[in-house]
Amino acid sequence: MDAALKLVEPLAQPPEVEPPAATSPAARPMSAPHDLNKLSRWLALNRGRVRAFLIGAVSLGLFLLVWHLLTVNRLSFHVRFVNVPSPAMVFASLTKVGQDAKFLAHVYLSLRRIFIGFALAAVVAVPLGLVMGRFRLVREIVFPVSEFLRPIPAIAWVPMSIMLWPTNEESIIFITFLGSFFPILLNTLHGMGMVDPVLVRAAQCLGAREAAIFREVYFPSSLPHIFTGLTVGMGVAWVSLIAAEMISGQFGIGYFTWEAYSLVQYPDIALGMICIGVLGLASSAVIRGIGRMVMPWGRK
Amino acid sequence: MSRNLARALGAVALALLSVGASRAQTVVTIGIGTQDTTTNTVTAGTIVRQLHLFEKYLPTDGKYANVKFELEWNNFTSGPPVTNGMMANKLQFGMMGDYPLIVNGFTFQSNPESKTRLIAVAAYNRFGSGNGIVVHKDSPYFELSDLKGKLVSVPFGSAAHGMVLKAMQDRGWPADYFQLVSQTPEVGSTNLQERKIDAHADFVPFAELLPFRGFARKIFDGVETNLPTFHGVVVRTDFAEKYPEVVVAYIKALIAANEWYRADPKLASEKIEQWTGINKEVAYIFLGPGGNMTTDPTIKPMLTDAAAQDAKVLQNLGRMKEFDVGKWVDDSFVRTAFAEQKLDYDGQLKSLANYEVAGEDTFCKKPIADPRAAGEVWVDGEGIAPFSSAACTLGAYSSLKAKGKKINVAYVFDTARGIKLFADQAYYAVGSDKTAIAPFLLKKDAEAYAAKNGGRVLGFEDAVKAAISGG
Repeated sequence: MDAALKLVEPLAQPPEVEPPAATSPAARPMSAPHDLNKLSRWLALNRGRVRAFLIGAVSLGLFLLVWHLLTVNRLSFHVRFVNVPSPAMVFASLTKVGQDAKFLAHVYLSLRRIFIGFALAAVVAVPLGLVMGRFRLVREIVFPVSEFLRPIPAIAWVPMSIMLWPTNEESIIFITFLGSFFPILLNTLHGMGMVDPVLVRAAQCLGAREAAIFREVYFPSSLPHIFTGLTVGMGVAWVSLIAAEMISGQFGIGYFTWEAYSLVQYPDIALGMICIGVLGLASSAVIRGIGRMVMPWGRK
Repeated sequence: MSRNLARALGAVALALLSVGASRAQTVVTIGIGTQDTTTNTVTAGTIVRQLHLFEKYLPTDGKYANVKFELEWNNFTSGPPVTNGMMANKLQFGMMGDYPLIVNGFTFQSNPESKTRLIAVAAYNRFGSGNGIVVHKDSPYFELSDLKGKLVSVPFGSAAHGMVLKAMQDRGWPADYFQLVSQTPEVGSTNLQERKIDAHADFVPFAELLPFRGFARKIFDGVETNLPTFHGVVVRTDFAEKYPEVVVAYIKALIAANEWYRADPKLASEKIEQWTGINKEVAYIFLGPGGNMTTDPTIKPMLTDAAAQDAKVLQNLGRMKEFDVGKWVDDSFVRTAFAEQKLDYDGQLKSLANYEVAGEDTFCKKPIADPRAAGEVWVDGEGIAPFSSAACTLGAYSSLKAKGKKINVAYVFDTARGIKLFADQAYYAVGSDKTAIAPFLLKKDAEAYAAKNGGRVLGFEDAVKAAISGG
């Protein structure tokens, strides 16, 4: 495990998040505003994406506006917004924490933990799922155990995880690992179940060996499901984060949220929630981006 | 589903009543946030719930003739979730330690619907005992300064956090003297057991519970900060203004719970173990005679002064802005409850007395003269016997054991600080006169005493041997 952790360590270094795919091409025509022709051609080509981006921005803006109106007027109609912090209050606490480097350290450490835990889960769960899908005996052995462990929530793992691993960092990574492991495994398995048996028989008829069938038939046809699993797994990894970072007692965006809870500071709690949301969104976008690169045939 | 329906119906019925349009029976739901595992709140929560004491005192006549009360008890392991529930108006009553109480009062300052008021005290220790710092039993740390630069965890925002900050302030230590991290009791306990942290500071009952469970040793007791600590009850003002009689009834139930515990501490401790999972021997060290917590609902000026100091600590940390403790305290309900029960509030307010170990020492054959020099032995299945001194306690322990009795636990008192200790965790200064055995919590206190009186320091087993050979 230690060795494996070290292996992925260098990968964990770059904490920067790739900008969402929709905005990066938008930057290019801006650098050459004189070329109107090019711009209009680009617009015509990417109309769908520009539209999605604009609608997305408007919808987010509306969300903020509704949130603002509900909380500023302290509305209460069965659902009560009386004590829910307003966007301005959350922004104020963002500017407050943004001034010291500690908050960035929280974010950096959380990203690192998510990345290592998730990468380990992907490295273990994808091959295991493939093997389970191909060989019934392996599936019959592993499936009951994984189905039994899967419903156990991350927070319940906290005490066991502390006892299992020699350092707290490993305990935390273990919990994020568990969070993403099961969705990836199940989706891979599901993908293997969806492989068209006709294709497999055809490959066999053409004399393909087991390894070749795996490489050329099973793996590519289950890739879309694997990537669904990876996206879902990434989301669950963030869900597990608060539970996991209760252990650390010092750093991480989950810990930041937890500490705000123990001091009953509602704006900081909301800030932590939003941060986790944004980081989760960004990391899922990265996975989807990789998915598009790996599966060019899947692009519309 | 049906509860929600009942609540909705209750709300409708209440609305009707308030315009005087209905004489139908109304349902008032009262939410109470307890901390079952925090042993010094059990007389305000767990016992009241289990013995149905609140129901007993709820008003039934006058404007309450057509009111049906529904009690909703919610249990938490710390104060902040209780505050959260109270903010959401799911809970009207809540109980917690001094620091969470202040955070509670401060948080409600910005709530336009309601504020909270401190209406009664569950239990207190005038010197700050109850909070403590424990280390792993095999670790080389014996006093606070041994932990310099070490990893110490404490639940932030708790009474124990306050104790740590006060201890550091008293000694003039910088903020980075320890590597202080925030961990909940659950997480901190497991981490300490696995030795991932060097020490864990916590509130009642963990500083006694973890040593009792056999893997930890207490090296600092809150008593050394000399700042009172307490747990209390807060109520939402919108509820209290509407139903003041209910608040008074709640305090009457609390008084009854205190009396019930003191009437038979052994039985009560066994019940608490059954209800909360905290070992009876641990509950007894806090709430039993001469215990480390005094159950007393009166709001003493000493405690509100301490709360004001706590508020300053939180302000200095930048966790809180202005907060007026005086305005937040409201003793009118507890005064009414005392008056209606024909009890003397002002007399009790001045008294700092706990109930003490008393009776006849059957081993040394003499009555107990100085309760804070005495001791007790809990024989499994038989009961708790008092003894007049530490030497008599250890002697009795050995003789009971020789008779083949199973001993649950033995208690002695710290010679310097008067706090109750588990006998097997204490250090003993034994002089040339072996009948004088002085127990201490801290090794350094025992060593200082032994040096002054020409004795030596022994662990529990050796002290028992010394007690027999001397007797």
